[in-house]
Amino acid sequence: MSQYDVHRGENPRVLFFFWIVVLASLTLIVGLGWRQLVADKKYQEIEKRQTERRILKPGPRGDIYDRKGNLLVGNRPHYSAVVYLDDLRREFRSEYSKIIRAERERLIQAYERAPEAEREGTAPPNPNYNELQWVARQNVIQLYIDQINRITSRDDTISTRKIIRHFNEQLLLPLVLVEDLTPDQYARLIEQVPVQSPIQIHTDTARYYPYGVAAAHTLGYVQNVNPDPDVIPSDGIKTYTFKTKRGKTGIERSFDELLSGLTGWEMWRVDPLGFQDSLLDHKTPKKGQDLVTSIDIDLQLAAETALGDRTGAAIALDVRTGEVLTIASHPSYDLNDLSPFIPRKTFDEINERGAWLNRTLQLSYPPGSTFKLITSIAGMRNGNIHAQTIHDCQGVFRLGNRIFRCHARYGHGAVDLAAAIEGSCNVFYYAEGLQMGIDVLSAEAKRFGLDERTGIEVPYETSRLVVPTKDWKRETVGAGWVPGDTANTAIGQGFLLATPLQMATVIASIARGETRTRPTLRALTGEEAQQLDHGGEPMGLTLSQRAELWEGMERVVGPNGTGRLVQIDGLRIAGKTGTADFRAHGQEVNLAWFIGFAPVENPQIAVAVMVEGTRASDSYHGGSTAGPVAKDIFLEFIKQYPERAGFPVAE
Amino acid sequence: MAKFRLDRIKPLVALAAFLAAWWIVPATVKSFLKVSFAEFQAPAWVATSYLDDLEGFWARRSHSKVELIEAGREVARAKSLYQFNAQRKETLENEISRLEAILNLPSRREFRYEVARVVRRDLNAWWQHIIVRKGKDYQIPEGAAVVFAGGVVGRVVEVNAFTSRVELITSPNFRMAANFEGDERPVIYQGLAQGGFGQPIGTVRDAPQDVVASRQAPLRLVSTRLGGTFPPGLMIGRVPWLEPGSTGIFQAGKVELDPRLLSLNEVAVLIPLYPIDLETTDAP
Repeated sequence: MSQYDVHRGENPRVLFFFWIVVLASLTLIVGLGWRQLVADKKYQEIEKRQTERRILKPGPRGDIYDRKGNLLVGNRPHYSAVVYLDDLRREFRSEYSKIIRAERERLIQAYERAPEAEREGTAPPNPNYNELQWVARQNVIQLYIDQINRITSRDDTISTRKIIRHFNEQLLLPLVLVEDLTPDQYARLIEQVPVQSPIQIHTDTARYYPYGVAAAHTLGYVQNVNPDPDVIPSDGIKTYTFKTKRGKTGIERSFDELLSGLTGWEMWRVDPLGFQDSLLDHKTPKKGQDLVTSIDIDLQLAAETALGDRTGAAIALDVRTGEVLTIASHPSYDLNDLSPFIPRKTFDEINERGAWLNRTLQLSYPPGSTFKLITSIAGMRNGNIHAQTIHDCQGVFRLGNRIFRCHARYGHGAVDLAAAIEGSCNVFYYAEGLQMGIDVLSAEAKRFGLDERTGIEVPYETSRLVVPTKDWKRETVGAGWVPGDTANTAIGQGFLLATPLQMATVIASIARGETRTRPTLRALTGEEAQQLDHGGEPMGLTLSQRAELWEGMERVVGPNGTGRLVQIDGLRIAGKTGTADFRAHGQEVNLAWFIGFAPVENPQIAVAVMVEGTRASDSYHGGSTAGPVAKDIFLEFIKQYPERAGFPVAE
Repeated sequence: MAKFRLDRIKPLVALAAFLAAWWIVPATVKSFLKVSFAEFQAPAWVATSYLDDLEGFWARRSHSKVELIEAGREVARAKSLYQFNAQRKETLENEISRLEAILNLPSRREFRYEVARVVRRDLNAWWQHIIVRKGKDYQIPEGAAVVFAGGVVGRVVEVNAFTSRVELITSPNFRMAANFEGDERPVIYQGLAQGGFGQPIGTVRDAPQDVVASRQAPLRLVSTRLGGTFPPGLMIGRVPWLEPGSTGIFQAGKVELDPRLLSLNEVAVLIPLYPIDLETTDAP
């Protein structure tokens, strides 16, 4: 045997291992090639999902204007002091080491002090590392909050829960330390916090309402919510979102899509711990579209002032287009108190006053004598009421063994239609209502849309609208219809329920000689106004019938009419007052109504006012309570639109 | 093969040793050394400044008598104008105080001023400082506002025995609350890294969207009282344009500052007469 082994290339044992190595290498190379060249997209996607994060930034909402361009709802700056947790990582570590050292020492001392028999285990216990980590983070963050508190004289703190939630859910977003800074506090922080400090001033927007309580229910308010899941791209990249504002009530809700801004985004590369590393790309958010409403803020303010502290509603419509010029509901609330969020105390206070309810369209009331206009039209169309129709009112109307009273204790005497409207004679309408019957009355009320929502662009319009019929009573009350029900319905009492907005559409329709008015809160362009279709039909009265009706309505606002307090020199107003009994707050209260339009020769504005008594002692009447409110609206209309009111215009 | 000589890298080793030592030195020692260094340099700067003043004095002495008489007259005219303005100011202040008393308004924050010569200008892309010739000897406080005839100069950031360092309004580390003249809403002004010898500039942000600026009608950016450091209405600069900021909510733009800021000789330090006590500001 030779001293050295001679290597032979053909050694089968070596060859075997050689081929194994070759095969393994080939497998690796093919695998690598497959992953690099064929499956690269998949791995890019995985890498992207692991290292990229998206932040969605909702755009600010659009502004809302009145028809003359006055800002009704805008955006005001909403200042907060924030920190990006990424900037505090070194401080977290330092504080954590300090706390851990202190805790270890404490545990060792406690262990050594304890008698041997009571010791658990052979060494001091370990600190709760996880808990101490959160304590360290809270300590550091609270230090910055204390600095802010010193500068702004506030007294804010932060809870560990909030920090944990932020770490888990919104790590890439700034952590809000102090919210809703006043301009004064904001300015002090800007000047007294060094530029290099991790504390940053974050400026967002909150809704701002220059006119406070004016049209509060109609304009509505917004709520900060998480964006819809639909806006988050489904590409698997983890996405963080700032809260967005969504319309909760009023126009803010109805036109939410239009007003909402376009969401922008930032794409960040993050490190293995999830903190931001570098900004990869971004898209700037865009403001939502502005909305021009039909409201005239001067008329609105006039209505709000006239209503004062009383409970009620006032609406003014453009007779031709149905545009809402004024829509006020009282009691109201200052929308600025609800922005950027509704404090619990404010919510409770508004709730206690019953001010959340929009009385123009969320509550329905008996329309009282204002309904006599519908009864009159029904009677004339049915042939019951004509120029020679006269009833002798002695103050009472006997129906079977029931006595129905007129509000004039000693009666109106002999009254025709115009006089009955002028004096709001109940006896005339009891008699006429019974003659035409409930079917005719109900049909006429339905023709004017009193059983349907108006369709205005404000949510939560009530569906509790009642135009009673025999079937309705049988189904709802479980009793048969009696003649007394017809008598009550004829004067707008009984089961009838309508909203003030509906009554405004009724009077606007009568002013135009039609049966329907479609109210809108959008300021219509000339072209839109031309193409307008209110969806009704002609009222169906002859010229003489219409003249008779209008004469009565004009006499209401004449020297002897029930609405004489509405009279304005130089402006011909046609209207109808109403005083209804209503059960609310567990007691019988008065409702005062006035509906009317002007000028009679060329109707431009239709007004409906309802004032609701809140105590049994409130003695409200249509002419003396609701009338003056309407008068103030008419006066402001003359001031703002003298030409349309038929008044001379200064050159 | 040449023998490796350790003495050749001695300077590098020394530098490394110094940096390592500096790294482990406690922050208080570093701060002490920094202040000592500034105090050590200060006499040289102050002396240079006095020499400059002396040079100016002798340069003026070299003028002819006629020129000096004319200059003297100019000074007398200027003096009388300033005296008149001072009287007018006093009358207006009395009137304002009277009206404030009638309306029961809180009194304005008042300042006394210390005029100080600029002894050194340290202007570059990273920082923008000036050193003024008054310090603790004149009770100059840190954070005090510094102004000149053209408006805001900056804020005192360091006070030494006889000098103070002022962070200029042009510095990227300078930030203050401001507002556009005639508009009470606060905005943020911040300095910007300066490009060179051109006009100094800064930035403004958080400007409301309804504010419109144009080259033809630039907006005047002035100080606001809200921040508590500056009296209201001091000129900061002009804003020739604004554009939507990155948030899409507010506008941002450049602020053109007074070019004289880069060649200041004299400034006034505004010292609050009643410094804000942060702990008691919410007291009635």
